[in-house]
Amino acid sequence: MKVTLAMKPAAKGFIPIEAESIVPKNFLSGTDLLVWRGNRELRLDEVFSVSVEGEADRAEGVEVVLSGETFRLKRVGEYMDGGKITVLGDIGMHCGNFMTAGTIEIHGNADGWLGREMAGGAIVCRGDVADYCASGYRGGRKGMKGGTVEVFGRAGDFLAENLADGTVIVHGDAGDMPGAEMRGGTLIVHGDCSRPAANMKGGSCYVYGTAREMIPTFKKIGPVQHDGRTLIQFAGDLANRGKGNLFVKNYEYLD
Amino acid sequence: MTELLVKNACVIDPLRGINGDVMDIAIRDGKIVEEVSDAAEVVDARGMLTMPGGIDSHTHICGTKVNFGRYMSPEDMRAGRTPRRGPMHATSGYSVPTTYGNSYRYSVMGYTTLLEGAMAPLEARHTHEEFTYTPLQDTMANTLFDGNWAIMEAIRDGDIKRVAAIIAWTLSAVKGFGVKLTNPGGTEAWQWGKNVSCIRDPVPYFEVTPAEIIRSVVEANELLHLPHSVHLHCNNLGTPGNYTCTLGSMGLIPDLNPKRQTLYATHVQYHAYGGSGWKDFCSKSEPIANFVSMRPQIVIDMGQVMFGRTTTMTADGPMEFNLYRLHHDKWSNHDVELETGSGIIPVVYRRKNLVNSIMWSIGLELALLTKSPWQCLLTTDNPNGAPFVKYPEIIALLMSKRYRDAEFATVHPDTGSRVPLPAIERELDWNEIAVMTRAGAARALGIQDLGKGHLAPGADADIAIYPLKIDEVDPSAEYQKVIDGFSQTEYTIKRGRVVARRGECLVHGSNATFWVRPKVPENYDMSKDPDFIEKFERYYTVRMSNYPVQEEYLSRNRCIETEADL
Repeated sequence: MKVTLAMKPAAKGFIPIEAESIVPKNFLSGTDLLVWRGNRELRLDEVFSVSVEGEADRAEGVEVVLSGETFRLKRVGEYMDGGKITVLGDIGMHCGNFMTAGTIEIHGNADGWLGREMAGGAIVCRGDVADYCASGYRGGRKGMKGGTVEVFGRAGDFLAENLADGTVIVHGDAGDMPGAEMRGGTLIVHGDCSRPAANMKGGSCYVYGTAREMIPTFKKIGPVQHDGRTLIQFAGDLANRGKGNLFVKNYEYLD
Repeated sequence: MTELLVKNACVIDPLRGINGDVMDIAIRDGKIVEEVSDAAEVVDARGMLTMPGGIDSHTHICGTKVNFGRYMSPEDMRAGRTPRRGPMHATSGYSVPTTYGNSYRYSVMGYTTLLEGAMAPLEARHTHEEFTYTPLQDTMANTLFDGNWAIMEAIRDGDIKRVAAIIAWTLSAVKGFGVKLTNPGGTEAWQWGKNVSCIRDPVPYFEVTPAEIIRSVVEANELLHLPHSVHLHCNNLGTPGNYTCTLGSMGLIPDLNPKRQTLYATHVQYHAYGGSGWKDFCSKSEPIANFVSMRPQIVIDMGQVMFGRTTTMTADGPMEFNLYRLHHDKWSNHDVELETGSGIIPVVYRRKNLVNSIMWSIGLELALLTKSPWQCLLTTDNPNGAPFVKYPEIIALLMSKRYRDAEFATVHPDTGSRVPLPAIERELDWNEIAVMTRAGAARALGIQDLGKGHLAPGADADIAIYPLKIDEVDPSAEYQKVIDGFSQTEYTIKRGRVVARRGECLVHGSNATFWVRPKVPENYDMSKDPDFIEKFERYYTVRMSNYPVQEEYLSRNRCIETEADL
């Protein structure tokens, strides 16, 4: 089953739409769903032109395609447990929160908190992602617990903060504090970043570019071969009695 | 004039010796009266268990450290979210909920009076502001004196009357209710990076010992004729083998008051540990409970631990630092100038953990081994042992050996060799539960004469009606019914109005804050004492004239005036 949701142009202004109901599973019983715009609850067809092709009896058989001003949509795919969501433009905050299975593909950029606290499944973003991609939430001890997030553009600050398990790959640069407080899983940044893996407790963080403002509480182990690259291995974060591994291509400490 | 008649109530009112009689209760203008006119609104209790409104004699619900618990744990606010509904505000939080969250949840459980366990005098305004937004319970605040410089100097000089005078001025200034000592001396030592190991260690600089602080403040408290006794959180909280220190502290206390106890020792579960370290950690609830049973001058509360997530918060800064070193999670520490300090960390108590399982047992043992329920009150030291919403489960555990055995089978397997709990057959009855949750608390706090904790004519019409038929429910077998019954009242009546019904709060309410103003002779008025003023202006960051809490901070309030013997 393919559900196409084309957003109708907003009459006025920029009011985000809370669309946690846009999850493949929900479309098995029709398109009679509700979303919130500000303090008003709207039917799906008041916001989108809805069209449905084919049928499915399991969430895995459902693909939802979003197009139009999709950057206004928040919480798309929250608690998603199967199927596929394709976003043809940019997507708003909190896309794929808590998802456990299925795939989300974003052709544009993603706003903050993409894949926050996800436990499984896969998210692919062709553009850039904003802050707190694949991270935990305020005060929480465990962030992402499984699955994969792959970003082809750049990532903002606090990428994969509190990462507990799963894999996060960013092909461009990352911002400040990627992998902060991480306790497991794998984080790979192909470009540069600053202050990686601060206070890490476990897991592995790879920086194929330059790690600026390296945290001084990591112990240098020495060069290792990884995936055809020569990286320098560090262990830490000693400030947190951590047993994590940080691998960097180049690094510089703050003067 | 508003009148209300509660008909066919099965009343348990221990302070009047009523145990399960079916009767009507007449209410006029917020007070219980002999009879009301035919025009009175009628609430039919249909034989349901009816008791005076619950009184929590030690809880942390308002004030700076509670609020810092909220700051520190944004994740806690993800639980317990309820939207706005009728007169109810939106709430959130589990172990440190919003003030409305506390107020509604207590009200739904039938609680109408709360004692905030520890208010730093300098930060009293915050506590009173939060009291204002705890609308469905009357409130009062224990005021911290454990590290008060002026008091320690007066004790060093051997001047008990001056100690009393300083307490009198401070309580009146900050609108406090009782005197709280939290790890006396220890919090001051913590400001030097130290702690006191027990009651005979001198506090740095002041050279007074915790024993001297406890004895002197207890005597001063009685000189002032305060309604409540000294409220003591003993030294050495949470340390293996600390029960000897607890017994030593309790042994210092003479019997000075015929109406109530002379010492209220709080959350004694945390102070009843044996062993020399965590490896041989064990319960010492028996010696403590036996000691208390022999001394009418002491009342304790359980400080029961229940499994799950919560937040610990106390004025005992050094203890929280030790906890932080165990858990290595978030930690906050706070110093309150010349008075006290505090610390906060979130914790999870786990069944799989042997120490936590023993702690869970000790609280129950204290309640079951202390002979008189008037001497051991039901608390969790909310939220330190568990959030107060666990009270119904604790009641059921105390009333049912079968429930205790079922729970005991799920805790750490080695617990049995470290605690006496499995051998205790006692099951408390409804009357004893009523004592531990209201009548005993009212007597211990000295507020029974103010119309709290009983349903005699003239008393405040604070009533909890639980959907339980006590002659039909067998608490020892049907413990789930007990839990459900105590979790949600059929009616909670506060000052003559139905404020909660089957889980819904019906009115916004407005509480009253109780505070004391002891009258002292002119020569003991600290606001005119040159030495006190000089030190105050020199060491505090606030001017003495800005220190007292203005009356505007108290919405409704009841000032209790006492005559001091100075």
